[in-house]
Amino acid sequence: MTDPIRPIDADVPPARREFLTRVATLSALAAGSGLAQRVLAQAAPPVDPPGTVPNAQVLAPKSRAFTVYSARPLTGSVTAEYHDFDVTPNDAMFIRNNLLTPDLDASKHVLRVRGLVDRPLEIPLAELKRMPSFTTQAMVECAGSGRSSFQPRASGTPWAPTGGMGCPQWTGVSLADILKRAGVKAGAGHVAFSGDDVGAVPTAPKVIRSIPLSKAMERHTMVAWAMNGGDLPKIHGYPLRVVVPGWVGSASIKWVSGIEVLDAPFKGTYMDDSYRIPRTPVAPGSKLPADAVTTEAWPVKSIITLPGPGDRYKLGGLLVVRGSAWAGEYDIERVDLSFDNGATWQPANLAPRGDRYAWRRFRLELPLTRPGELTILARATDQKGNAQPVASTWNPLGYFWNAIPRVGIVVEKA
Amino acid sequence: MAHEALVPGPGADLTQAKCAVCHEIEHVVRSRQSRAEWEDTMQRMVKRGAPLTPDEIRIITDYLATYYNREAPSAAAQAASAQAAAAQAQADPVIQLLNRNACLGCHAVEKAVVGPAFREVATRYRSDAAAAARLARKLKEGGQGAWGQVPMPPNPGLSDAEAKLIVEWVLTRQ
Repeated sequence: MTDPIRPIDADVPPARREFLTRVATLSALAAGSGLAQRVLAQAAPPVDPPGTVPNAQVLAPKSRAFTVYSARPLTGSVTAEYHDFDVTPNDAMFIRNNLLTPDLDASKHVLRVRGLVDRPLEIPLAELKRMPSFTTQAMVECAGSGRSSFQPRASGTPWAPTGGMGCPQWTGVSLADILKRAGVKAGAGHVAFSGDDVGAVPTAPKVIRSIPLSKAMERHTMVAWAMNGGDLPKIHGYPLRVVVPGWVGSASIKWVSGIEVLDAPFKGTYMDDSYRIPRTPVAPGSKLPADAVTTEAWPVKSIITLPGPGDRYKLGGLLVVRGSAWAGEYDIERVDLSFDNGATWQPANLAPRGDRYAWRRFRLELPLTRPGELTILARATDQKGNAQPVASTWNPLGYFWNAIPRVGIVVEKA
Repeated sequence: MAHEALVPGPGADLTQAKCAVCHEIEHVVRSRQSRAEWEDTMQRMVKRGAPLTPDEIRIITDYLATYYNREAPSAAAQAASAQAAAAQAQADPVIQLLNRNACLGCHAVEKAVVGPAFREVATRYRSDAAAAARLARKLKEGGQGAWGQVPMPPNPGLSDAEAKLIVEWVLTRQ
């Protein structure tokens, strides 16, 4: 088999290789009959309005390990064991829509810049692509990634413990260059982005979020038209999106057509009613306090991408553990692994530092000298000394789950 | 996979009709929140564009706070869930069509919401024999101007038979 749903290499145990091969075969059959994805929640949805792309079309190119958590609005991801990549490929990139996927015409797409600027701009996409561009690998992660781990359950899409993030390569123009071209006026403090997603009802407001000017002027914050070297897929914002690296994914507005420079944070439902956390921790089950604050950069976090849950290894063999670690605005200082439920920890080897907002891959080898169940924990620490917690602080909308990940395997007597 | 249905109770139909316009009803079925949280959720949905009157907000909030409450999960409610699914399957076919095509997001029988009340439509076309065919076409192709400037979106997925069924039903709502 040459078409696995996870890359197969010498570090993947033989039993796992067979399993993956088998899944690939079954999945290929399923794909042929139009059942490519495992769909947890499948309602008979109302007919979508014109100008939208059907879910079936945007899901067709996704990995066969892709799980849909909500069909309307569309939300889905792969879990960590299917994310054993240095760079997230398009087919493993998570989806989190607020509205319906628009079917936009790149040849007519225009980026409008207005608000507190000296020169309001209308930049056709073709002209934008002639500005100096750059490519960078950068994290985008849904604020609710991992939400299903919160107890008691928090409101919102029940993201699996390890889905909801990705680290592809993005190509586009630095937002700072666009803002400099427009000339930011004194008194500007925030920059809002407006997406062209389509609501199910005419009364649905547009998806608009703003970020502080300081982050907007950070040179990695970009308006991107390419992902992993090709046009953005429709579901990931074609033909143009914002990428606010390291911050909650909702800041990275897809299908962007409007940029507005403001004196204060944008006022609207996607700023005021969602993506907010209590200023200080509240009792689990409480409602969101009135003085809640908006979510910005992700705290330190990691995933274990090899082995996968339940993988089987032979006693006397070698276990290779691989994973990824990141922190919204900080570098990763270290990643420690534990094979005894946290009693002792040993440092993993970190891959060389890559792009500013890319995750760091880690790796460690362990000779398997004892049979039975083996639990692997990973704990990343950022450069400020913040380490992943045992459990994340409960909050009403279930954001920022970043607790220590855990994977159990079986070591069999040869 | 079977479509999960809401627990039957006062307000269940309205909740289904209104919420499923923009998101699948599973978002509600799997939720357990306090009354205060549901009140917040309803306010959030209104700001997201949900066309709801104050009465409808009150009815839906009461329903959710009763049957999907994290503090007082109702055992009876859980048991009734399977029964609800069966009842739903046998529901009025026209209501099912209206739900599936999001008609009830903008229309109600008794009063104007985003679009005109079905009763108003029935009254206006009471003595117009050609209205049924015209309205059936309008259901599929969309329209604007007859009841104001908010456009009615087209429903290209409706079959001719379905459009006819809906129009006949609407015209008997006088």
